[in-house]
Amino acid sequence: MANPMFQMLQGILYGKGLRIGHLSGLGRIIAAMTGDHVDVIPFGGPQIHDHAMTVAKVPARLYYWNAELLVDTQMAVDRWYGFDSDTIMADAYNFEVEAMGAKMIYSDTAMPTVDVSHPLIKEPSDLDRIGPLDPSKGRIPMGIEIGQLLLKKAPGSFSPVFFCSHWSLICQAMGYPKAVRALKRDKAFATSLFDWANDQVLFPYMRALAKAGIKNASGADAWASFPDLTPELVEEWVLPYAKRLGERCKKELKITAGAGGGAGDYCEEDPAKFDKTIMFRCLTIMAKNFPMKMMVAPSGMGRTQDWDMTWLRDYAVQQGKTGHRLPIIASLNGRFMRDSSPDQIVGKLRTWIDLLGRDGGMLVFIGNVPADTPPVNIHMAVKATRTLGKYPIAADLSSIKVEPPTYQPFDEWLKGQPEADTILKAREWKPGRTPVVA
Amino acid sequence: MTDQLADLRKAIVEGDDTQAAKLVEAALAQGLPPLDILNQGVVAGINKAGELWAANKYFLPDMILAADAFKAAMLPLEPRIKASRSAQPTRKFVIGVVQGDMHDLGKSLVIAMLTSAGFEVIDLGIDVPKEKFVEAVKQFKPDILGLGAYMSTTMLEMKDIIAELGNQGLRKGLKVMVGGVPTSQEFADEVGADAWGKDAMLAMQKALELVGGRNG
Repeated sequence: MANPMFQMLQGILYGKGLRIGHLSGLGRIIAAMTGDHVDVIPFGGPQIHDHAMTVAKVPARLYYWNAELLVDTQMAVDRWYGFDSDTIMADAYNFEVEAMGAKMIYSDTAMPTVDVSHPLIKEPSDLDRIGPLDPSKGRIPMGIEIGQLLLKKAPGSFSPVFFCSHWSLICQAMGYPKAVRALKRDKAFATSLFDWANDQVLFPYMRALAKAGIKNASGADAWASFPDLTPELVEEWVLPYAKRLGERCKKELKITAGAGGGAGDYCEEDPAKFDKTIMFRCLTIMAKNFPMKMMVAPSGMGRTQDWDMTWLRDYAVQQGKTGHRLPIIASLNGRFMRDSSPDQIVGKLRTWIDLLGRDGGMLVFIGNVPADTPPVNIHMAVKATRTLGKYPIAADLSSIKVEPPTYQPFDEWLKGQPEADTILKAREWKPGRTPVVA
Repeated sequence: MTDQLADLRKAIVEGDDTQAAKLVEAALAQGLPPLDILNQGVVAGINKAGELWAANKYFLPDMILAADAFKAAMLPLEPRIKASRSAQPTRKFVIGVVQGDMHDLGKSLVIAMLTSAGFEVIDLGIDVPKEKFVEAVKQFKPDILGLGAYMSTTMLEMKDIIAELGNQGLRKGLKVMVGGVPTSQEFADEVGADAWGKDAMLAMQKALELVGGRNG
């Protein structure tokens, strides 16, 4: 296994124009995000957990309870697609509330989901009753094991342990509408909720991670995207608590806990309402909270394929320093990937690469991959990026033909892969054979 | 519009549920016609909130509070409206969120809009299994069945439900609408729905179109 520090250093040097050997996926991303030179536009591995489960045909009731199966399946599927990185995670939004006693719904074919009709928190007095989080409960031990496996199997990857950040945790515990009512109508209760999330739930989880030797955790906060929360509410609540958790973890546990990931993501659904001013405010908030303090222009989970992507470029130019625009993460929308034809995907990438990729500093990503996305669409996106995104970018991209991807079916490809045993054994599992709680 | 109804409209726009309920009670006590209170106060308020939403002046948290105020206002008003409409046939709309899906905000907004348009809405709730939808169609014989989903994984249930209705010969005279964040017109066409409700306002408009542009 190549040394990740070497790969990162190679990426930094490559970005500055010093080419030593072939770039690894990690090196390619570092080169694209930090420098002016890279061999081809990188394709970041997206959030893919339930899609990977579907591709690998493993049972949900085992997959979401077995850290090794979850990690191996996603690593294998990511490699089958040829991504340059992994985003390995489970249904990270559920772990904390499940461990604290929230009613869950389990399924044979889909990820667990919180039963918001029976919320964990119904009234302020519930906060005294529930907590602190016991890291031996629920699937928290699995979350810790995922982190340990990643240290072993994917050192240096961008995949930290994911946890559910403050606002999303509150929404999971009481339902979004009630959480919003608290935020808008009862600031004292809202403050108690955020304090509870920070001190009673997340810090104990981070302490358990630190004890297990994990140094890096990332808090996802999709409920803090726009328009679920306005940029003002994100600044008032989400960012200060993210800072508070991060500082405490750094001081007391010596680990990096990046909470509030995805807060401010511009997820406007209606193209008629896309608004450049609001989008720029959202991008600024999102950039403030980006992992590793990287300055980037990120598009995230929203219907970015419908944005005027010149806006994203305008933002990157506006925020850039010393004549350089910010690097751009161009995220294909999950539904677009699921519902489009391969030709439409190639067309989208052709336009984006022409607009955003000519002067380097571009990474292609997928917001998330829905479970039922046709694999050919993902293969097509990766192939189109590799073909059209080869530097120097062709002057006339419309003249470059992207052939349909050729790839082995997953099961054939899996033969001989290091994850084959784990995945094939999991397919034989039947309910009741292992002590799965669901 | 009277000052009182203007205040009611304002309370709903501002999401003040306590004030909205009080103003409706007061207006009813003064003998204002329930339909005037509904149309000039309550519906006017939620429509204004919808306009502010469309114009990017209101965001989801504001809409939740406005919907709360709308519901609070409807509580004392609904029995009086029903009483005044008792002589007229009312269109029935059965609605529910499909199995495995717990999200009810969108459904609540759609119900509020449909009620304001005069539909009798039967709410099956969230996480509703296919069999319960089928039973409800048999029991209530609605004009329209509305299926909601918030997740790309759960929306696939809709196809099965619509197919099952067809298998059991229940599609005659029944229109089916689908809605929710991951759905689209293409998806609605694919699963055999009669209409797609992009948001609560459009869902109400489509529902009215499906029943011939009038209700009751």
